[in-house]
Amino acid sequence: MARMKFLCDADRCIECNACVTACKNENDVPWGINRRRVVTINDGKPGERSISMACMHCTDAPCAAVCPVDCFYVTVDKVVLHSKDLCIGCGYCFYACPFGAPQYPKVGNFGSRGKMDKCTFCAGGPEADLSPAEFQKYGSNRLAEGKLPLCAEMCSTKSLLAGDGDIIAKIYKERVVKRGYGSGAWGWKTAYKETVAI
Amino acid sequence: MLIKRKSADASRGKLQAALGGLSSGVMDRRSFLRRSGLVAGGLAVAGSIQIGAVRKAEAAGFGPATGTKVVKNICTHCSVGCTVKAEVANGVWVGQEPAWESPINRGTHCAKGASVRELVHGDRRIKYPMKLVEGQWTKISWEQAISEIGDKMLEIRAKSGADSAYLLGSAKFSNEGAYLFRKFAAFWGTNNVDHQARICHSTTVAGVANTWGYGAMTNSYNDIRNAKTVIFMGSNAAEAHPVSMQHILAGKEINRANVIVFDPRMTRTAAHATEYVRFRSGTDIAVIWGMMWHIFKNGWEDKEFISQRVYGMADALKEIEKYDPKTVEDITGIPEAQLKRAAETFAKVKPATFIWCMGVTQHTVGTANVRAICTLLLATGNVGGMGNGANIFRGHCNVQGATDMGLDVGNLPLYYGLVEGAWRHWGRVWDVSYDYLQSRFDEVPAKGGRPARNRKANMETSGHTSTRWFDAASLPAEQVDQKDNLKAMIVFGHGGNTIPRIPDSVKALENLDLLVVADPHPTNFVSLAKRKNGTYLLPIATQFECDGSRTCSNRSIQWGEKVVEPIFESANDYWVIYKLAEKLGFAGDMFKNIQMVKGKYGMEPQAESVLREINRGGWSTGYTGQSPERLKLHMEHQDKFDLVTLRGAKGSPVENDFFGLPWPCWGTPEMKHPGTHVLYDTSLEPINGGGAFRPRFGVTREETRPDGSKVNVTLLAEGSWPKGSEIKDGYPEFTMGMLKRLGWDKDLTPAEAATINSIGGNSPDGVSWAVDLSGGIQRVALMHGCVPFGNGKARANAWNLPDPIPTHREPIYTPRVDLVAKWPARPDERTLRIPNLHTTFQKAAIEKGVAKNFPIILTSGRLVEYEGGGEETRSNKWLAELQQDMFVEISPDDANARGIKDGQFVWVSGPENNSKARVKALVTERVGKGVAWMPFHFGGFYQGVDQRGNYPKGTDPIVLGESVNTVTTYGYDPVTGMHEGKVTLVQIAAA
Amino acid sequence: MRLTRSILSFLAMVAMVIGLGLSTPVAAQQGAPINPTARSVTEDQLLNALKPGSAAEIGGRVTIPDAKSATLIRPAGREWREFHQGTMHLIGGIAILGMLALLVVFYFTRGKIMISGGPTNRTITRFGSFDRFVHWTTAGCFIVLALSGLNITFGKTILIPLLGESAFAAAAQLGKYAHNYLAFPFMVGLALMFLIWVKDNIPGMIDVQWFAQGGGLIGKGHPKAKRFNGGQKMVFWSVILGGAVLSVSGWYLLFPYTAGGVLNLQFWNVVHGVVSMLLIGAMLAHAYIGSIGMEGAFDAMGSGEVDLNWAKEHHSLWVEDEMKKGVVPAAMQPAE
Repeated sequence: MARMKFLCDADRCIECNACVTACKNENDVPWGINRRRVVTINDGKPGERSISMACMHCTDAPCAAVCPVDCFYVTVDKVVLHSKDLCIGCGYCFYACPFGAPQYPKVGNFGSRGKMDKCTFCAGGPEADLSPAEFQKYGSNRLAEGKLPLCAEMCSTKSLLAGDGDIIAKIYKERVVKRGYGSGAWGWKTAYKETVAI
Repeated sequence: MLIKRKSADASRGKLQAALGGLSSGVMDRRSFLRRSGLVAGGLAVAGSIQIGAVRKAEAAGFGPATGTKVVKNICTHCSVGCTVKAEVANGVWVGQEPAWESPINRGTHCAKGASVRELVHGDRRIKYPMKLVEGQWTKISWEQAISEIGDKMLEIRAKSGADSAYLLGSAKFSNEGAYLFRKFAAFWGTNNVDHQARICHSTTVAGVANTWGYGAMTNSYNDIRNAKTVIFMGSNAAEAHPVSMQHILAGKEINRANVIVFDPRMTRTAAHATEYVRFRSGTDIAVIWGMMWHIFKNGWEDKEFISQRVYGMADALKEIEKYDPKTVEDITGIPEAQLKRAAETFAKVKPATFIWCMGVTQHTVGTANVRAICTLLLATGNVGGMGNGANIFRGHCNVQGATDMGLDVGNLPLYYGLVEGAWRHWGRVWDVSYDYLQSRFDEVPAKGGRPARNRKANMETSGHTSTRWFDAASLPAEQVDQKDNLKAMIVFGHGGNTIPRIPDSVKALENLDLLVVADPHPTNFVSLAKRKNGTYLLPIATQFECDGSRTCSNRSIQWGEKVVEPIFESANDYWVIYKLAEKLGFAGDMFKNIQMVKGKYGMEPQAESVLREINRGGWSTGYTGQSPERLKLHMEHQDKFDLVTLRGAKGSPVENDFFGLPWPCWGTPEMKHPGTHVLYDTSLEPINGGGAFRPRFGVTREETRPDGSKVNVTLLAEGSWPKGSEIKDGYPEFTMGMLKRLGWDKDLTPAEAATINSIGGNSPDGVSWAVDLSGGIQRVALMHGCVPFGNGKARANAWNLPDPIPTHREPIYTPRVDLVAKWPARPDERTLRIPNLHTTFQKAAIEKGVAKNFPIILTSGRLVEYEGGGEETRSNKWLAELQQDMFVEISPDDANARGIKDGQFVWVSGPENNSKARVKALVTERVGKGVAWMPFHFGGFYQGVDQRGNYPKGTDPIVLGESVNTVTTYGYDPVTGMHEGKVTLVQIAAA
Repeated sequence: MRLTRSILSFLAMVAMVIGLGLSTPVAAQQGAPINPTARSVTEDQLLNALKPGSAAEIGGRVTIPDAKSATLIRPAGREWREFHQGTMHLIGGIAILGMLALLVVFYFTRGKIMISGGPTNRTITRFGSFDRFVHWTTAGCFIVLALSGLNITFGKTILIPLLGESAFAAAAQLGKYAHNYLAFPFMVGLALMFLIWVKDNIPGMIDVQWFAQGGGLIGKGHPKAKRFNGGQKMVFWSVILGGAVLSVSGWYLLFPYTAGGVLNLQFWNVVHGVVSMLLIGAMLAHAYIGSIGMEGAFDAMGSGEVDLNWAKEHHSLWVEDEMKKGVVPAAMQPAE
């Protein structure tokens, strides 16, 4: 079975933000919720790198571990999803997440947190695949349609890779060997406790 | 509650069907890799797998819901030409899917392309025609709008002449829209017609065309994959043309290519370079000549190329000698060693390509900058082959096409110019008499010491440039070289905040009798103006709501299919132009050979039919072979084109064609010319996409030898010819007379000969390849392996330009006043109907001590999220969220010295009109000390004042901000009137 | 423990977080060859820079206004998780179960502490109605807050198997609302308690003696005490200080956008959790001694009237003071 992962090849990422708007477009994500974002490290200095970041769908996901209502679940493809019906908006997943993935609409009591929202790897949620309820709560379910997340599919420079971990690691490795440099599989050590050995 | 898929045996769904088959079945590993984005990895398989097949296999199992149709159009946000695949259900655009099959974008997009679906949902669009009544926006009907605008135009025409109406078109028109707009101007009787190319690449077009014949990118984005050295100068492709970076970075990886970025700012593109070279804004010529100095001193030039295909390199050398490393370092700030290394790399690690954008073109020396770069390319033999060339990245989605269609003050469609022959040619194509066209133009009385112009002279005189429209409206009538000042601005799809000196345009807006803004969004023309009446807003559809073709930067033409009907009460350009022409009384003549079809509001011109008319007349540029049928076939078979060569696969319906039939695509569509992927490429037969430099400036030139004697030097190629040429040397352009001399006239069919004879009348020998409506001359020339336009030399010396050999000139507002004595601005002159006072302004700036009081160089540029004036993209909620504030980049040194913190508001003040702008500070090392940078997409704030209230209710963009052009200043290129958008001086203080 | 380290270095972290993350020590020197590709910053470099006591996050620049999103990787979340899923359970377990065990042992060894002199059937007013109202408001809130809080920590282990996911989530959601809303009356009660009782809770030498004598809990005899004895003062101050800490930390957790970053939130969460557990433990002891652990004690907060002997034994000096003021013990109302 596939083990779905993201890998952002920072030597390709140009901070064009296509992943960000593709995500908004595909999942109708409202203003203020950023399931995906691009962070630029060492901005303006030689060596500057931009990295597109969202939920990495960690192995042994910290969000799931700390969730007080156990609303997270892992699909057969190891995509970490959650149920908005169960979520109580406590914010613990946000404290635990190493990537700042969980987002909260400011609709909760005292204008604080509503139900958590995050990248679903375009795999929807617990509702029936491709049902309107699923789309309304979680956005698209491209995996059910046999497609990969739109952010990666639309990445302008094919920097953001999504798919089976072994395959994208291989792609990345081949790239690095071919071109002779690589700044690393960002987040992999933290998310998957492994990295792409070159 | 059981959560599905919580355990491994829960429904695994269709996903497993798709991905489970990694070893077998529906999706094999290769296809999975493709979806994973592998192909760009520079792997051996790149380009060899056809995506379409994979997608079809998937679709068979679980395609989009029934009732959803997929429509292909082209992204409207830049010149790369990404295919947009829209899923439409019940007339609503419901989803966007990657267009894997497009060889240009291969499924990908940038932030703008990935969010275009929002444009046709756009609740901030103009929803219905409106006019200002005593300062209040009032809804009116289309009939009323057209009728009132037409009446007002006729009234102005009667009083002040046809030239008093300015027709500002758009680079976001389709080719057909742009062509109709240009034709509209011709029938109205003015050359005051322009569009965004003026402010983006007009100097490129002028500089490049004057060097080797055509004003366009010589190669393609895809071809950069072949380059071993890539220089970017004044181009931030990572933000302005993100998808192009897919090809560039892949090329960089596969070839281990050198990528050298010259820019005053450490851009996102520079972050991916192998060498970043910082230099002072406005010193491009010194940089290039400095490189040339090293190249010639070390003998790195391509001597054979120069001797065979370049004219005047020796003249250029005389200028180049002045640019020794010390001088260049003093002017530009680039250390000798670094510049030498760049020069050596560019000359020796070939093929090398040079990419430039607004950083080069938007200068008072824009044309000269371009000419210098062209000379560098010629000296190193880096033109006319795979992987090299002048890769000029154009801006808007159809700025190349709109330029080609003649939305230009000095051209009829397809670069025929304004000479009598050009008017007669188009008169024949349009089936109207030359005399009729002439009768439409004004007679200009003598004034300001200038002689009067009759109608013929006026129709052959270039119009006002868009960069100076406000001067044409405000300057004393005596200084404006036409019957009267501008009284009406008819603006189709053009922002008001993209041109410098906004304080001056604000004043001019108040003087206009009529302002018409026809656009999907109200532009800054609307928000800036303090007008009470005489202002109309017409809701225009985007290109997603309209059929038509558009030409990408690489000259490929793609057909876009209407995705949805124009939303709200908006209408497409074709219909609006038609209705206006009808109101003004010339629709019958103008549309006589154009088929009308039923549209949203009744009969409208059919896009295909308009393109066929372009095909009938576009001989000079090879716009004749791209019939709508061929273009649609290409869109249908996008997956059959090679990623690198863009050539159609063997055995496919598009075999041998280059994708999008990049112009020139010679002859009639039936001739099946493949288009020209790489211009001036002698390694291919012309009939197969090859070419040579175009001898456009005569056959010989008289030169004076040192001893005073005169000699005629040839301008034709020597010892170089395209593959398969029957003439094994240079030759001039083909005419009927030349065919006769060669004895090739007998190859013409009787019908072709008859057409030529009817065009030529008494002197059929004079009929050239460019005006032969039969295409026979082109066909015969190609048959014999020849290029219809001839085989000439490119010019290092363009004697007809103000600076035939480029020379460094300090910007008008320069911080280095000490250099002005040696490198002054050009003397005052007149450029296109209006004074151009370089020296006066430069002197005044020095006398006023501007450099002391305004010590920071301000330059400007692009953000990836926004486009142009930005009204459209700032209204798109998905994009607007990403850039919510106008800002100025300031270096940590300058910020500390001024007590400015990152994120706080500052005032940026400019040296003219006491201008100032209140923006946020972004303290960053992207800019060096003494340099500030601002994006140019903002509007809606003016000198600290929020103008949201000036927009009609509900049409204000989500994000507003100060325009950089509030503080930019005077300065115009002497050839094209391009503004100085990249160097001015400002002061910055905490607000 | 790593978390201790992270708490200790909390201020340092905050300082680092505010900045724009880390920078490699290369500056763009004009003239020197600048090869951005060769100099590209690598993840390893940055991860290595996450040394104890220095930065806890790798951050950069984003264009969206949400400053939190500028953080790219924050491995500290892992430590918080370890704490929350491990240490926190341990602390809670020890504090609560340990205290319960202690109390059980105490009950069985020491037994209920009876009034040595036996009930007198004469009472003296110990707490007026306002005092009691304040006490029970705060206590009531505390119980709900404690239970809903414990639910967040232990609920999924204990209750999901019992209730199932949906019912539990619904309960937890209710608990969250209760926790959020009752936090306010709790804080008000806390403030009032402080105001009305602080003057009698100033520690003094007498408390030292009280503790020296084991508070009378161990062995026989009753040490002297004023209105509040040493043990009660301890309860008072742990409630006031603990409550204050819970209020402040809770405030940030309730209004996460005011906390200034996730690391701060993690910090406040740890503080909130640890102090809660300890306070719950303390309150168990308080509740025990105020109810089944001691004869006559509950009346103080029940009717407010305590037996005179009970008062004399536990608060001898207070009773003397009250008598001097002329307070006359009332006859016990006959039980109905």
